[in-house]
Amino acid sequence: MGILLLISFRNLFASRAKTFIVGGIVLFSALLTVVGTSIVDTIDSGMRRSIQGSLSGHLQVYDAHSRDDLALYGGMMGENDLNPIRDFSKLKAALQSVPNVESVVPMGIDQAMLGAGNLFDQALEKLRGDVRRCTNGGAARAVPGRSPCAALPEVEKEYQAHKAHMQRMVGLLAKDLRQALSIIDPGTHNASELARNREALTRAIEPAFWASFDADPFGALEFLENRIAPLSLDGGFLYIRYVGTDVAAYQKAFPGMEIVEGTTVPQGQRGILLAKLYAEDWLKLRTARRLDKIKYARDVLEKRIVAKGRLARGDEELQRWVKENQTSTRDILLQFDPIRAAEATRRLQRALGTGEADLQKLVVELLTTDDDNFDQRYRIFYDELVPLLQLYTVKVGDSITIQAPSRSGYMNSVSIKVYGFIQFKGLEKSSSAGMTCVMDIMSFRDLYGFMTNDKQAEIRALKQTANVKAVSRENAEAELFGGDAEITGTAQSGNIDEGKLIQAARGNATSSREALLSRVYSQQEIDGGVVKNAAIILRDPRRAAETAVEIQAAAKRAGLDLKTADWQKAAGMLGMFVTLARVVLFIAVFIIFAVALVIINNAMVMATLQRVKEIGTMRAVGAQRRFILVMLLVETVTVGLTFGAAGTALGAGLVRLIAVRGGIPAPNEQLYFFFSGPSLVPHLDAAGLAISLSIVFVVSILSALYPALLATRITPLAAMQSDE
Amino acid sequence: MAVIVSVVGVSKIYQLGKTEVPALRDVSLDIHSGEFISIAGPSGSGKTTLLNLIGCVDVPTAGSVVVGGKDTRALSERALTNLRLHQIGFIFQTFNLVSVLSVYQNVEFPLLLQGGLSSSERRRRVDALLGAVGLAQHSHHRPSELSGGQRQRVAVARALVTRPPLVLADEPTANLDSQTGANIIDLMRDMNRRDGTTFIFSTHDPKVMSHASAVIRIADGQVVGREAVSGNGGGH
Repeated sequence: MGILLLISFRNLFASRAKTFIVGGIVLFSALLTVVGTSIVDTIDSGMRRSIQGSLSGHLQVYDAHSRDDLALYGGMMGENDLNPIRDFSKLKAALQSVPNVESVVPMGIDQAMLGAGNLFDQALEKLRGDVRRCTNGGAARAVPGRSPCAALPEVEKEYQAHKAHMQRMVGLLAKDLRQALSIIDPGTHNASELARNREALTRAIEPAFWASFDADPFGALEFLENRIAPLSLDGGFLYIRYVGTDVAAYQKAFPGMEIVEGTTVPQGQRGILLAKLYAEDWLKLRTARRLDKIKYARDVLEKRIVAKGRLARGDEELQRWVKENQTSTRDILLQFDPIRAAEATRRLQRALGTGEADLQKLVVELLTTDDDNFDQRYRIFYDELVPLLQLYTVKVGDSITIQAPSRSGYMNSVSIKVYGFIQFKGLEKSSSAGMTCVMDIMSFRDLYGFMTNDKQAEIRALKQTANVKAVSRENAEAELFGGDAEITGTAQSGNIDEGKLIQAARGNATSSREALLSRVYSQQEIDGGVVKNAAIILRDPRRAAETAVEIQAAAKRAGLDLKTADWQKAAGMLGMFVTLARVVLFIAVFIIFAVALVIINNAMVMATLQRVKEIGTMRAVGAQRRFILVMLLVETVTVGLTFGAAGTALGAGLVRLIAVRGGIPAPNEQLYFFFSGPSLVPHLDAAGLAISLSIVFVVSILSALYPALLATRITPLAAMQSDE
Repeated sequence: MAVIVSVVGVSKIYQLGKTEVPALRDVSLDIHSGEFISIAGPSGSGKTTLLNLIGCVDVPTAGSVVVGGKDTRALSERALTNLRLHQIGFIFQTFNLVSVLSVYQNVEFPLLLQGGLSSSERRRRVDALLGAVGLAQHSHHRPSELSGGQRQRVAVARALVTRPPLVLADEPTANLDSQTGANIIDLMRDMNRRDGTTFIFSTHDPKVMSHASAVIRIADGQVVGREAVSGNGGGH
């Protein structure tokens, strides 16, 4: 054996070029395998942690007769169509009988629309509130030439400020709207409507309108609300994605959810926790959002706008954001009443070192950013301007209205209190998964259109008030039109006081809404209703596959036909990414090693043919075929294992280096999701290294087999042949 | 003297495509132990073919070859290799040393294949042979560092290290100058006389032939004569 090894090793050194070429290929292949496996494994474990810890749990269950499969983050055609599971308590009891099930969390994931509200409406609401307070809800008549709030000095200041703000907003709107109206082709729009809009706008900006405001504040407000507010171009509805759930149970089961502002929804109450990313993307002042994105791109992704004087081209997307900031100052300016506008002017003049008095020009100058001044301008924006602004359209403590079409097509809406803002660990910046808001399950059931106990009670009360009586089909005509029909009430003629009716309706709605928001539901009420799916948390996640079988059996015994899905399947297309990444890696490694095998095989065949005489001599002096075979195999396996080990070690070192330097940064939000964070910090495990070395060993053996067998066929006769 | 090699009615036909080339035709001869035989003939006469058949690196198309009492037709490929390892030494025309091994390791190689000897015994034998061929001081050199004559001496030492009863040499002096060639033949003759090893070597050089104890002439694949060389008694 010793002489065999000696001959093998010395032959490797004798053909250094061939050895290093072959070895280099093996080294690169091993390095790629180690790094690739490490990255894919890290993505897998990261995504598993993020998804399991935020929404999927270890397993998901849903009705087996649903039209679609469960996709927690939506499918290509929107939300999946799942059959409702009517009684969650039955499901919960059945599944908790399975020993490995720790908890069952009810869920209903859907999309709805959130009324974003516009600044104009908000300002009108404030002004109306002032007038109502000053006129006792309209009971006190306005005195000509006198402010309606003159008698209440503490309200008068606010009233005047709000009125001045409204006048300013109308003036700003008028400029934008006149431009918009002027470019509309009159032939394609209702000409008379256009004329009415122009007329309304002209009236609203005249000093005479504002001078007469105090004389008839409600009339003026009605005019502004009905004729001017609809012309405002901001506001509207936003889509919101949510999971309706037992919030307390959800929070306990999903430690990945962090409350970054506010508090959780009180036990048993209605409420919503908005996703922080959702708030940043959709509820935040657009200018602030763009500035944040530019900052992230510069600081983390090391992109650049374009610095003055430099010839290099910067990032086009950053340049576009800068341009949008400069041209979209309206949403900032609209927020300033005259007092705050003056304060903003003073602050910007000081910070920018300019004497410019026009606030719009100051804001434009502030937002004219390049690589040299961006950090400073960003700081000025947040330190000087943001304290004077409402940065988010929704704050903690606000009540918001959410609307959604029910299964029968009618629009349902709920008014719900925002208790806080949340984010999911590892998914903070992922628009695919980090935008899901968490809502109480009772509100979900209202939106979903299922008859809740509250709704049933409301219907019963309405029936009672209206003195509704059930009438059978057979007796309908007699009951409705017959002479013996019971007189239940008498209509009386009179004027309808719409204002009173509206106020009463508003008051009733307000009180019933407030009652709903403060009502505390029992666990029985929370569990005893409809859900669309449920998350299962297991005691031992490694036994997920067998527990899924037990769950289906337990559900069947309880008369429920359920499907189960693990985190990957439940995450739909997003979950398949890891599988796809593994397939791609496998194919890449396969191709590289296949090429390596062919190259090594060819090199060894050529080497064997060059050593015919030497091998023939060994055979002639008494070396068996087995000696020759082992000699060739030892040569190739030595190269394979030596360079393979070096490649594995280099791969491990590279992985470690990447980890130490903070990982691979996620350049966009899609990769943020797959990396489960701002960067992918790969980790090594022994299995990955062992796989790499095993592949190298097998490929070395396979590539040496043919040349080795070829060598064994060399007869001693070859030694006898002269070179002549 | 005992017969060490017996060739009876041996023919060897090579197939070159559709053409049959008879290299040997009905050859019969006996070689006795201790002989120093030269097989002489022109190129293409069948000398190498005959040596290959005696050396068990080829098998006859017809007839039998008995070496050391064993009929080579009845032996497996493995058994033939074993026979070569223990019974036959080879000296090649082009030396055929293993280029990556030193002189010492080249000579030691057959002993390692055989096994069964202690390292000290192997060392003793190799050193003795290297001394006998005059290359003791070159034991650590590689073949590429030696002259042609030195390499052939190494080959002679390698062929004899297992103490085979029979050594075959195919044109051992063809790639050497006449003086060196004569020295090699003298060396082989000394080994033959000292140890009684049977040498069979092929040549077409009359000077080399003159060293043999007997010359078997071969032409056109047939033995045409066998003559003793006066003054060159073979073996003990």
